[in-house]
Amino acid sequence: MKTVPSQYDQIARETFLPQIGKIVEIADMTAKDRYFRIELEKPLGHGPGQFVMVSVLGLGEAPISISNGPSEDNILEMVIRRIGRLTQAIHELKVGDQLGIRGPYGSGFNLDDFYSHDVLFVAGGLGLVPLRSLITPIIKERGRFGNITLISGCRNPAEELYRDQLETWTTDAGMDVIRLVDGTENMPWEFGTGLVTDPIPKLEMDPKKTMAALCGPPVMYKFVIKALNVRGMNFDQIFVDLERRMKCGVGKCGHCQINKIYCCQDGPVFRFSDLSGIPEALQ
Amino acid sequence: MSYYLTTLQNITNWIRKTASENPVYFPEKFGHASYRFAEVKADSDIQFEHYTPTVLPPVKLLIPAREELLSFKKHADGKTEINPTLDESFRVIAGVRPCDLKAIFLIDLFLKDGVPDAHYLARRENTALVGWACTAPCDSRVFCAAVDSLHHTEGADIFITPLKHGDLLVEVKTELGEKLAAGTDWQTCDDGPARKVGTVADMPEPFGRTFPVTAQDIYKNVAEKWKSPVWDKHVERCFSCGSCNLVCPTCYCFDVSDDMNLDVASGNRTRTWDGCMLPHFAVVGGGHNFRPDPAARQRHRVKRKFEYLTEKFGHGAVCVGCGRCGRQCTAKIDIYDIVADLINEGDQ
Repeated sequence: MKTVPSQYDQIARETFLPQIGKIVEIADMTAKDRYFRIELEKPLGHGPGQFVMVSVLGLGEAPISISNGPSEDNILEMVIRRIGRLTQAIHELKVGDQLGIRGPYGSGFNLDDFYSHDVLFVAGGLGLVPLRSLITPIIKERGRFGNITLISGCRNPAEELYRDQLETWTTDAGMDVIRLVDGTENMPWEFGTGLVTDPIPKLEMDPKKTMAALCGPPVMYKFVIKALNVRGMNFDQIFVDLERRMKCGVGKCGHCQINKIYCCQDGPVFRFSDLSGIPEALQ
Repeated sequence: MSYYLTTLQNITNWIRKTASENPVYFPEKFGHASYRFAEVKADSDIQFEHYTPTVLPPVKLLIPAREELLSFKKHADGKTEINPTLDESFRVIAGVRPCDLKAIFLIDLFLKDGVPDAHYLARRENTALVGWACTAPCDSRVFCAAVDSLHHTEGADIFITPLKHGDLLVEVKTELGEKLAAGTDWQTCDDGPARKVGTVADMPEPFGRTFPVTAQDIYKNVAEKWKSPVWDKHVERCFSCGSCNLVCPTCYCFDVSDDMNLDVASGNRTRTWDGCMLPHFAVVGGGHNFRPDPAARQRHRVKRKFEYLTEKFGHGAVCVGCGRCGRQCTAKIDIYDIVADLINEGDQ
């Protein structure tokens, strides 16, 4: 009577079993954000804007953005903020320790959408982490793009991520980098203050030949999109990288559902014009 | 597909015989008026005809409240061994009503779509379903006919319809059904579909609660309503307890958590039922809740049943009209009333 569907063992392995990655470098970026460089058993084969499910076996699993650009080696880079039990445990890990990694998941950015265009990145806080996975391949082929501008904002100078990278992008990569904080909070800061929307009205840009990629806290999108729209950019020139609760990464657990779409598979990167009729998309 | 005629006594004996060889789950009375699917024992009372819908639908036998996805063991040499946990044991679920058959049919579609849900499908493919036609509404809350699930039989391996004069018509619909029916003395029947017509014609009309629109038209009445006072009206009484999710035969959302054994080297990863009506359901790491308001959660639940999954899979409403959510709700919120209000308020 028993019919053993042996194919399911293989499918279950491919779906839920993490590969074991070894931490090869850790660096503090801020008081609560830590950079992790992971060496995997096999190449991840990811595209920009994709994410992985990261786990500490015995503690749990969470979706984390991939921060390095597409590469053929076995390296995965992430910046993980300490916000809960799992991320606390990840912060306590040392070089040489293991992490479970599943993925990559999600639709990500497609470089073809950006070639021959000016590119505007708008990053709020941790949003810079996934955007770096798109900035990296774009500056690698710098000649195939027009002007590249990054507006990076965070709460205060101590919360700015990838400081060295922001410097080199400015000096070596031919990028205009606008660094902002909401307030200096009495810390030394030689750059601007204000919201990431503030520079948009004065940006030197040709709205018709610009593509924008946005990632930040939920509250940021609506205002940035409005400001870009006022400048003459259409919704199909704007990509947003959204965040949702996710437990499976494969469109089953239901947590990331936004109206009729699943953030884990249909996103997390969306062309904003594709989100018309998705009223829950931005918040 | 083959048809047979037999008697209720023969079917009951066959269930007992099958249960002596393999686990068979059948609706069992517990408490004063409730039923649940329980494993048939030698002294089980097997009543096909009279029972109200079980508190939990039979599909939950295939989606357990806690289900181990994988186990892991860290070895002393630093290697970690991880293995999936699959339940491939065989079982029969009998006495499954058409609404619950439709729910299992829908869950099959959802969990086969895209990346297949191996844990569910391994269990599902080792499960035989024996359905039983409803000839009268099982209680006053059902609206199965209004959402087109009353005559659903797809997914059943064997489907039984009581005929007018007391005999039973047995449809053996699959190879697995043939295996289960092997050795029975049921009488071959050449005109099965014709005999079924009589039973269907004798069903009461209307059958259970109805909507003023056809099953097909419910979709547009729900889909066109994003802003409606109906979303606030019923949810006023909602405690966000998630009981409606727990008892729903087409709810399958889950949470995932890990457990470490006392050796601090081995453990497992488990998925547990989760529900979109619970306040934490759409909370992300930083604390932002994408659906903080119970009205937004209820709208999501209703639209998922009547719009989102309907659009994605094209099999009509994903609510099968079993009435369980309304029956179990402490605040007496009934998805039927919400949908009826959306239909009745017209175009706004």
